[in-house]
Amino acid sequence: MTLIAQYFVTGIVTGCFLILATIGFSLTRRVEGFLNIAHAEMLGVSAFIAWGLNTQAGWLFLPSAIVAIVATAFLGLLIGRLVYDPIRNLGPAVLLISSVGVAYVIGGAIDAIVGTGIRSLNIPLATTYKILGVRITDYQMIVVVLAALTGISLALFLNKTKTGLAIRAMADNPALATSRGIDVQKTSRATWLIASGLAGLAGVMLAMIATLSTDIAFHQILQILAVAILAGLGSLYSVLLSGLIVGVAMDMSVYWIPAGYRPLIAFAVVIVVLLVRPEGLAGRSKS
Amino acid sequence: MNFEQLLLTVLTYGCLYSVMTVCLNLQYARGGMINFGTVAYFAAGAYAYAIFTQEPPQGLDQYLFGFNAPWWIGFIAAGVASLLFAVITGWPTLRLRGEYLALTTFAFAEVLHSFLLNERRIGNGSVGLSNVDRPDFSVIGLSENYAFVLAAVLLLILTSLLCRRILASPYGRAVDAVRNDEVAAEAIGKDVHRLRFEIFVISAIPIGFAGALYAMITTLVSPDLFTAEVTFFVWIALVLGGEHTIKGVILGTLALVTFEEVVRSLHFETVRAAEIAASVEHMMTGVIFVMILRWQPFTRFATRGREA
Repeated sequence: MTLIAQYFVTGIVTGCFLILATIGFSLTRRVEGFLNIAHAEMLGVSAFIAWGLNTQAGWLFLPSAIVAIVATAFLGLLIGRLVYDPIRNLGPAVLLISSVGVAYVIGGAIDAIVGTGIRSLNIPLATTYKILGVRITDYQMIVVVLAALTGISLALFLNKTKTGLAIRAMADNPALATSRGIDVQKTSRATWLIASGLAGLAGVMLAMIATLSTDIAFHQILQILAVAILAGLGSLYSVLLSGLIVGVAMDMSVYWIPAGYRPLIAFAVVIVVLLVRPEGLAGRSKS
Repeated sequence: MNFEQLLLTVLTYGCLYSVMTVCLNLQYARGGMINFGTVAYFAAGAYAYAIFTQEPPQGLDQYLFGFNAPWWIGFIAAGVASLLFAVITGWPTLRLRGEYLALTTFAFAEVLHSFLLNERRIGNGSVGLSNVDRPDFSVIGLSENYAFVLAAVLLLILTSLLCRRILASPYGRAVDAVRNDEVAAEAIGKDVHRLRFEIFVISAIPIGFAGALYAMITTLVSPDLFTAEVTFFVWIALVLGGEHTIKGVILGTLALVTFEEVVRSLHFETVRAAEIAASVEHMMTGVIFVMILRWQPFTRFATRGREA
């Protein structure tokens, strides 16, 4: 029983990480209208900037993490302006395929600069706490807390601030938003900054709780896709729930089936959801 | 690597990959279906060929089946396996459109990959099947290298002819109609779902054959060879060549394979230098890809020709 509880708690942590990784992806899908395959590579960028500053340049963890997140946010903005803006009128399929090319460029750059091999940050070893027989480390707790904070602040941002409201308006009806005097360019830029910044945050979390290798991004995109699809592409609040579902389902599955099949659960989710309920958890069926 | 060897390699793999791009072109440019799981049909063919021609398991082998059949039975099995996989994956998914279809096919390919990797009873898991049977070419008096080039070129020619035949027929015009305006096509009595399904399944068969040929050439099948990289590679080749024309996609694929093989054949002093070269090649591929999608030189060229 304790073992099941342990898998459940680990699943919650995985889920919280997936929430962080997916919210930016879903935001891009919602506002810019396409699936950004290169989103996962941004996690890699941030993770390796943090790693480089932390271990190679000898910075403390916190400043390197902050610099990594900010740098990733601006890199995302740059790519958005340079690559995706000019081809927006060619349709979501071309944008989707283009983002595969962008993923290639970023992935190749990381490989060329960092090289293969397994790396980890220069931070103190995790302290393990035991609560009712279930183990959880302090780093895992940070992930959970940050996921909760991100969810709350994003909700506040989208509902209370002017930019947030503009983002929502543009997502629902770009033409109407423009005619009501919303600066589309500015809103789009804000979206890229936030989405990439969130990817940066998730990347730093990844560096903190896992070991890093250069192919790490690819494994993330598959799970991000699973969470985004279960949530219903483009919906934001249901990402919170679907992230937890996918995380718990993946980690609990290890109890019954060989651990090698763990990623398979994510794809099973993708296939089942798309075949049975393509609109996802959000349930807003679109024709 | 000498020039002749390079040429042979480029021709063999170029033609093999071209078979995939030509089929993908049929699915995407003509059928309007984004298949992001191309590698799965390729892998299905390769594994089917290996399993059918492999000797029964012995010693440390963990796979369950090895039929020790002659190569041509394995070759046919490869086409059938790819077709069956297309039926299984196409039947439930083809009612999905655009990016949803892309994601489902992608997920199906990853599921297959994961099974091949974890289920040792199919093909020894991550170790894969080695010493895959090769047909005996001494009968026709050709060395193996040349025979495989010939086989790959033949397969490509047959595939292209098949595609051209399909597209030039009234059936092909029905397919075009479905892509351009589904509602209109349905209104004049075309069975949209059936047409899409048929194109999807037909175009999977040559990919399976290409997989079998690939298994013969490398004499090894393992999950590492069949990752999403292959899918992306084929997609990049398709865009590079300018979709829509068979000649274009073949040229695009050959160009990309040549580029890759030339970089690979360069001599490097250290492992790290080779690694960097490979990564830079990756980056350049990505940049070219994004630029072609951005300015669409081929489409522009094609439409200009039509106006003139």
